[in-house]
Amino acid sequence: MLDAFIQGLLLVVQWKAFAFMLLGIGVGFWVGLLPGLGGATTLALMLPFVYNMQPVEAFAFLLGMHSVVATTGDITSVLFGVPGEATTAAIILDGHAMAKKGEAGRALGAALGSSLVGALIGAAALALAIPIVRPLVLTFGSPELFMLAIVGLAFIASLSAEGARGMARGFLAGGLGLFLAMIGQDPQAGIARFTLDSMYLWQGLDIVPVLVGLFAIPEIVELVVRGTSIAGNVAPGSIRHGALEGVKDVFRNFWLTLRCGLIGTFIGITPGLGGSVAQWMAYGHATQSARNSEERKRFGEGDVRGVIGPGAACNSKEGGALIPTIAFGVPGSTSMAILLGGFFLLGLVPGPDMLTTHLTVTFSMVWTIVLANVITVLVCFLLLNRLTSLTAVPGHLLVPVILVLVFIGSYTSNSSYADILVTLIFGAVGYFMVIAKWPRAPLVLGLVLGKIAENYLYISVARYDAAWLKRPVVVALLIVAVAVVLYPAFQAWRGRKKASAHA
Amino acid sequence: MKLTRFFAAALAAIPMAAAAQNFAGKTVTIVVGYKPGGGYDATARLLARHLPKHIPGKPTVIVQNMPGGNSIVAANHVYNVAKPDGLTIATFNRNLPIAQLTKVEGVKFDMTKFAWIGSAANEATILAIRSDLPYKTFADLRKAKEPIVIGSTGPGANTYDFPLLLKDLVGVNFKIVSGYSSSADIMLAVERKEADGRAGSLTSLRTFIDRGLVHPVIRARAMQPGLENLPVDEDLAPNARAKAIMALRSAPEQVARPYVMPPGTPADIVKTMRTAFAKAIDDPALKAEEKKAKMDLDFTDGDKAVAILRDVLNQPKDIVDEFSKYVKFGE
Amino acid sequence: MHNRASLGLALAIMALTAYGIFSALAWPLKAKLFPLVISIPLFLLAAAEAAWVIFGKDAPAESVEAEGIPRNIAMRRTWIAVAWALGFFVLIMLVGFLIAVPAMVFLYLRVQSNEGWLFSIVFTAAVWGLFYGLFDLLLHLPFPAGWLLSSLGLG
Repeated sequence: MLDAFIQGLLLVVQWKAFAFMLLGIGVGFWVGLLPGLGGATTLALMLPFVYNMQPVEAFAFLLGMHSVVATTGDITSVLFGVPGEATTAAIILDGHAMAKKGEAGRALGAALGSSLVGALIGAAALALAIPIVRPLVLTFGSPELFMLAIVGLAFIASLSAEGARGMARGFLAGGLGLFLAMIGQDPQAGIARFTLDSMYLWQGLDIVPVLVGLFAIPEIVELVVRGTSIAGNVAPGSIRHGALEGVKDVFRNFWLTLRCGLIGTFIGITPGLGGSVAQWMAYGHATQSARNSEERKRFGEGDVRGVIGPGAACNSKEGGALIPTIAFGVPGSTSMAILLGGFFLLGLVPGPDMLTTHLTVTFSMVWTIVLANVITVLVCFLLLNRLTSLTAVPGHLLVPVILVLVFIGSYTSNSSYADILVTLIFGAVGYFMVIAKWPRAPLVLGLVLGKIAENYLYISVARYDAAWLKRPVVVALLIVAVAVVLYPAFQAWRGRKKASAHA
Repeated sequence: MKLTRFFAAALAAIPMAAAAQNFAGKTVTIVVGYKPGGGYDATARLLARHLPKHIPGKPTVIVQNMPGGNSIVAANHVYNVAKPDGLTIATFNRNLPIAQLTKVEGVKFDMTKFAWIGSAANEATILAIRSDLPYKTFADLRKAKEPIVIGSTGPGANTYDFPLLLKDLVGVNFKIVSGYSSSADIMLAVERKEADGRAGSLTSLRTFIDRGLVHPVIRARAMQPGLENLPVDEDLAPNARAKAIMALRSAPEQVARPYVMPPGTPADIVKTMRTAFAKAIDDPALKAEEKKAKMDLDFTDGDKAVAILRDVLNQPKDIVDEFSKYVKFGE
Repeated sequence: MHNRASLGLALAIMALTAYGIFSALAWPLKAKLFPLVISIPLFLLAAAEAAWVIFGKDAPAESVEAEGIPRNIAMRRTWIAVAWALGFFVLIMLVGFLIAVPAMVFLYLRVQSNEGWLFSIVFTAAVWGLFYGLFDLLLHLPFPAGWLLSSLGLG
């Protein structure tokens, strides 16, 4: 295996493969940056060009492109509050808040640093997990996936504000998300649920227009209201420095970064959960690292840990998602599905072969992810100053551009005007939620996990009747879910205890 | 691209008939009713790469995705909005005739009135069972005492409808478990022994069959090479009505990758396109790519396609009603 | 302000879930289980929040925006932002992206930001060029011409 490890690296650093990887990075850079160009769409569009390349070159290109999308998506999210990708929305909460305080440099530094660490963790997981991949993935059946969805939903508690009232609002938002997730044709009886007789709603709400509306529109309104640049009245000079500070933050909170990276990898490995959950769970976990109520309240207003968590998770999940794709031919996400198409084109059969006969190709993919991310992060650091100075541009110049990006972003997912309407509607919802101080993250979590939870519950019951409740992993996950829900209460109790001890 | 066409149309005044046979400098758009990445999209893109040299004037052929409503949106658009000038082609869900038949809300087209180019493939639907189970043939399945768990995505997909008809009409002891996010997820469930098998197109199951994970036991009417020895579901139907229902479900599979143009497209343009498609599908370069991509293209002429679909749409009401009880329009 | 918005959201959720419960009752069990399990508690929770707002004794409402922007200006600007967003949407529906994008950008720069003619034109051209080049020329994404142009036959 060590042999393949080294051979894999050698394959990637050959001139042609390397050049293609750079090309892929170049394309991926813009795909991530611009809302409206989803990584998946562009992968599909690039696929035909890949036909005439050798397997390693083609993968260098595809993976190079794919790996960097999560990193540059973070940039748009942090700087403008517009999700560059569906998977980089969580970082807006604290990242953009930091940009508004004039700390864009630090936020970007933290985002880039954690992205790199996350990517390395994901790649390491891919490499190390190879011997144990099959039993690992096979342990997670539908009952376990249902429980995982419940764990994900339990994070709503962490994403809510403190106190009974805060929790109530968090669960209201989460419940609303779950309700909205029910829209569409149900897979048990084929009934069109809550579709208001509209063709558009038949396949359910698309997450991208909802995210764009929920997060970007309130930011645009705020920009207009404030009448200043994104960074407010902070002196332009002070914005740029701080990137290094951000990177140091990543290492100051190293265990958090590591844990969030692992969360991301894990979500990536379990196919069927969808990639966008990872960032929210990581964010929820990051808020759990607050030591007391005061710190807890500051999340959402610019705590760098709220940047590190999602940043790491987003990138690590890509490495994780490759695992079921390579080992089973079952894609862990939409972009993996397209990558899979690439496999077939190049005559490779995903499955046990990739872990034995073609191990070198597998390792070359690991190396591609590593190198692509390193290069991207370096390039971004070089551009950092220019990027952060965008936050000093007067708002009235930025607003029209952001509006255009937002509208295109939501339109291009399905080439449908209805999506823009959805963005506007959720823009209103998001705006009111911000004013009412309701957290928006639970809504997204509910929306993303609702259908998954429902489907896997039905599958589990249909297949195993009630026996699935006794499976060990299911029980373990249930305990985790309960712990996650109770943790904020525990934190509050501990805080009060400390306060009374000092009194 | 609308703006360019506006200017081009305003400036030029080439009579339609003369332009019809020469597509030089034009752009032909294939509208796909799905997002990029799926089977319909991949087929369209493959064709888009090889069609230009077979169309007089060698136009550019591009693909545009218009997902929504399981491709009803794309079909509506090309039926009602697109111009019948030979520059727009549509490909969409093969089950749209069923949507029309069962009067699904939102259908604004008549399948038979499109200007049909043809179908680029047949898609055989098969049921595949995990190889380590003791059931080697369909006959074994019928004798099974324990229910056989078949994973599916949901009503409307062939992963659901095909086994459902076998269960309800032929009486096989299936337990259909639905809700999986995609057919690939079902395969994972099969590996985990959570599901015992799944139905689906031969194309999507091929890798797993080649790997030995599953083997096919029965097929529907549409044929693809390699399935010669399998029993056909209709042959096992207990009565004429059951047979008609199964035939109705599987009819669209013979027009598996439909390609049409807006109603009213001049006949000579349609003819040009039919020839172009037939030649492209026979093109060795396309065949080489097709092999690598594990796709299986096979041209069925538009007239034949329309005949099959007209048959579907002319079914007597009682059969349609009975059919609707089992099969809903979906994927 | 916080409380009024909270009340508004709570009432909206109550209406939504009431509709949900009402629709779901007609469905078969498997289709209605989850919607009901979610809607009923959600309705109750929303009612509780509404009651909390109406009958609770909370701290007096704080001002809408921080950073010393007076409330009336903040309100006015909010409406302006909303107007631009909605206006852009309507414009896109009427004349399609390709015309609406440069139109909106130009108008915004001139009317809202009070930029000079030259700057506005150059900036608009740059934005439009990037947008057209990337999304249309390179990626062939479909951008219909809009209702107005279509009905005039110019689509």
